[in-house]
Amino acid sequence: TEGPPSCPKGCDRCSEYNGCVKCKPKLFIFLERNDIRQVGVCLASCPVGYFGMRNPEGNNRCTQCKIDNCEACFNRNFCTKCKEGLYSHSGRCYVSCPPGQRTANETMEC
Amino acid sequence: EHPLLRALIKVTLLKHEATGKPIVVEGLFVGGSAGKAEGRLMQYHPLSLCNTSEDERQDGDFITIVKLEHRVPRCLPLLDKARMALDKGAQAVIFDVSDDANAAAELREANSFSRPVVLVEAQGAEDLMGLVNKNEEANVVIEIKVEPKWLHYDV
Repeated sequence: TEGPPSCPKGCDRCSEYNGCVKCKPKLFIFLERNDIRQVGVCLASCPVGYFGMRNPEGNNRCTQCKIDNCEACFNRNFCTKCKEGLYSHSGRCYVSCPPGQRTANETMEC
Repeated sequence: EHPLLRALIKVTLLKHEATGKPIVVEGLFVGGSAGKAEGRLMQYHPLSLCNTSEDERQDGDFITIVKLEHRVPRCLPLLDKARMALDKGAQAVIFDVSDDANAAAELREANSFSRPVVLVEAQGAEDLMGLVNKNEEANVVIEIKVEPKWLHYDV
């Protein structure tokens, strides 16, 4: 069933100033900063630098990657793309590969 | 219980700073937080003040404004939301409580905020949120409203 006509796509409940306040099931709410405004938008997948965190009540939300030197992550602990010049190993980012690990420069992995 | 002090919120769009007349809105200090504060106006979505929120750090002095809505899933008590906003570096927090009848009562129970926390509603809140909707940088000054002292005549 479609949300209220005035709400943006994928949104169940919205308001003029906050944008979306409750997304449709399975979607993630992303709090988008645009200069002084911050509004809620509903996404099927989160932007780079964020991962989708699901919660039992259905208030799924995009949450920032918190892993050092990481640009894109799969979840809170697993980086999928390290910042330029860094090597990735088991979901973490390294300036140089840990001892005992061989460096694969083409894929920047250990 | 001491009466809650009223606040004067003066907002000037940065592009009109030299010539523009500020918009002046009245509010209510809560949590014994009456005092002066100044900074850029910055809106936060109510869901950004939750335990799972990001540490979205702002540069420079800013004043947070949050439009509360009873329909938004409540992730934290309002007192904790106010403290979280101050912990994120806000010089002060303004809550528009027009659409959340319980919010004012809940926030009035607060007793100790480190910096000003102000409630606004009705036309004043609408003026402020209208500015937010313009999405233009604005400077905010919050002060204590000094009530005129009338001489009491015995009649």
